[in-house]
Amino acid sequence: MMRGLLGLSRAIDAMNETVGKLTYWLILAAVLISTGNAIVRYGLNTSSNAWLEIQWYLFSFVFLFCAGYTLLHNQHARIDILTGHLSGRAKAWIDILGTMFFLLPMAIAIMWLSWPVFVDAWQSNEVSTNAGGLLIWPGRLMVPVGFLLLVLQGLSELIKRVAFLLGMIPDPSEKDEGPTDEELLAEQLRKERGETA
Amino acid sequence: MTQFLIENMAPLMFGALVVVMLFGYPVAFALAACGIFFGLLGIQLGLLQPSLFQALPQRIWAIMSNDTLLAVPFFTFMGLILERSGMAEDLLDTIGQLFGPLRGGLAFAVIFVGALLAATTGVVAASVISMGLISLPIMLRYGYDRRFATGVIAASGTLAQIIPPSLVLIVMADQLGKSVGDMYAGAFVPGITLAGLYAIYAVGITLVRPAWAPALPVEARTIKENSGASGTKSLAVLFVVSVIAAVAFAHWKYPQPNPPIDELLVLSTAVGVGVAFGASVVNHVLKLGLLSRMAERVTFVLIPPLALILLVLGTIFLGVATPTEGGAMGASGALVMAISRRRLSIDLMRQAMNTTAKLTSFVVFILVGARVFSLTFYGVDGHLWVEHLLSSLPGGQIGFLIVVNLLVFVLAFFLDFFELAFIIIPLLGPVAEKLGIDLIWFGILLSVNMQTSFMHPPFGYALFYLRSVAATKDYVDKVTGKTLAKVTTGQIYWGAVPFVLIQLIMVGLIIAFPGLVSGGLAKKAAVNTDQIRIEIPADEGGSAPLEGSPAADDASKGGGTAGDDDAAALERELRGGKK
Repeated sequence: MMRGLLGLSRAIDAMNETVGKLTYWLILAAVLISTGNAIVRYGLNTSSNAWLEIQWYLFSFVFLFCAGYTLLHNQHARIDILTGHLSGRAKAWIDILGTMFFLLPMAIAIMWLSWPVFVDAWQSNEVSTNAGGLLIWPGRLMVPVGFLLLVLQGLSELIKRVAFLLGMIPDPSEKDEGPTDEELLAEQLRKERGETA
Repeated sequence: MTQFLIENMAPLMFGALVVVMLFGYPVAFALAACGIFFGLLGIQLGLLQPSLFQALPQRIWAIMSNDTLLAVPFFTFMGLILERSGMAEDLLDTIGQLFGPLRGGLAFAVIFVGALLAATTGVVAASVISMGLISLPIMLRYGYDRRFATGVIAASGTLAQIIPPSLVLIVMADQLGKSVGDMYAGAFVPGITLAGLYAIYAVGITLVRPAWAPALPVEARTIKENSGASGTKSLAVLFVVSVIAAVAFAHWKYPQPNPPIDELLVLSTAVGVGVAFGASVVNHVLKLGLLSRMAERVTFVLIPPLALILLVLGTIFLGVATPTEGGAMGASGALVMAISRRRLSIDLMRQAMNTTAKLTSFVVFILVGARVFSLTFYGVDGHLWVEHLLSSLPGGQIGFLIVVNLLVFVLAFFLDFFELAFIIIPLLGPVAEKLGIDLIWFGILLSVNMQTSFMHPPFGYALFYLRSVAATKDYVDKVTGKTLAKVTTGQIYWGAVPFVLIQLIMVGLIIAFPGLVSGGLAKKAAVNTDQIRIEIPADEGGSAPLEGSPAADDASKGGGTAGDDDAAALERELRGGKK
């Protein structure tokens, strides 16, 4: 039973890892498109609502589709002033209770509520109110899908915490995330100065 | 029991908010769950309409289509690329050499470069790490007082929080329903003043404790003429020539008595920088030898940050670009710069995009959580409860400001500024407005206040990053061969204390002299009436209520779900139609 669930958890982790690593390229796309929009508007004195709307479609895609990926890497902001020094087991309990009572109810509720809004936009073929704007439904679809990815990641984190408490796997929150941006910067500077850390 | 619940729903909900946030689970989800739970409870008790949650999808849509927040990933990405481009090292090395022979010179260099990095990279951690690895060893080598050296580095690093294009100012503007351009314009003078106060403190140190900040000996200088001359005279001449060119341009272009001040400043600065750059390039290429090495070096290292500042802040202040577009152009500019310096690798790109994506997601999700919470909280009139609490404080405006500043000061130890901005600011903003407080001024006051938490022992992030790069063991200095003692955590903490006091003085100055903030804005208003053809960012956000503003909150509560869309559309039209 638990073994099967751990397999499911690994599959979810792998999926969100892939989704996140593909999605983050859209940041570059958004930067380039937005720069292009600004230059075209002032250089050629025209602008296209579709291209302006693509900017925030990309932004929304990134933050919604990376929600699960961000949870996988434990990067959603916490206030751990009271609980930061607790043991690994106590923190696992916090995550289990938090996932069951905070994350899953809210994410499922929002998924549930936003699905009909998408169906509505899809059936009426709703188009943005801006002249030449984009179809609305792809944007509406991002919400339930993004929250689905988040729900799945929540389940995966839940499975890993329970497995840890049962002694089946090492503490999942102590996974090596590789060097941070700050560490990489410090390393680069030290290397250039010919010093060893 | 039921009666008690009905009458005290708002305070109970606020209490629950505190409890769930301190639980240690990601706040975004805790907030949203709290909102949904109390929403269901309120519906059960008949306090709220059963259709309450139908407004949720529209709220999320409003966050998605919020152009202002789009600036967050752009500026984050720009900073991450820029911090690895080598710009900070060049600046610190060269400006350190330039000011070094003065007493306290290295401290001035750190403050000056800190302000430049704040206006470009905008990442506190990156500034502190760069200065901690480049400037601190030199300061220690030549006998700077350890507390003074670490304090000036940590404080200068935090300037990134208050000098535009800071992320704090973006979310602050968004949540207060003001335009980011106005917030940037308002923060400019306080940011520069703060850097000035740091410098005044450094001057004071050189007068009272000259041994704490000695001048660098001549042999420490590597950029010099073959004759051994420093070459600073040549730099001074180049500087004066550039300033004359800028002033002459200003007089030629704007002969009228009331010139548009923003445009004049930005364009004449561009001319001055262009002249200096042109002269250095011609001198270098033709090997004229008219300029000293120092003059050439200083010009070349200052060009990239100044060009970026003109590209990003210049276009925003001119009203040519929205802050979002400014951010995108800045990010593209950073990419171009990193490529031209051969610093851009695929690994760096991935790293920067990865961090940006995760930061964007967690930041926007805090906002999602806060908006789900506020849907219920405003539904049970929680905002009226908070308003009543805060407006009944003794002392009117001043009483309110003192309490709010103390509150934010304390909360900033536990919450990061995104949490503060999304949860606390929307509750404070309307009360401030009712008391007749200008919201731009209020936002900047709170931003300076929050900046303090970055350097306040023992939690300040700037101190943490400085600790991570300062020597933890005694070491042998490579240049002098002498053994230098490690930097203790106590030295870092004590070094920050005078600068925390300077921050508090700055908060006091802003309260005592509101003109520090609104000075730039008053001029803008005058420009606006005289000279219609320049459009200023002030026009964009102001006319359409931003999504985060309480006004938009009430609109969606009232069942009018179209409000958000219309506001966004109106805003876009204003932007699109603007020359």
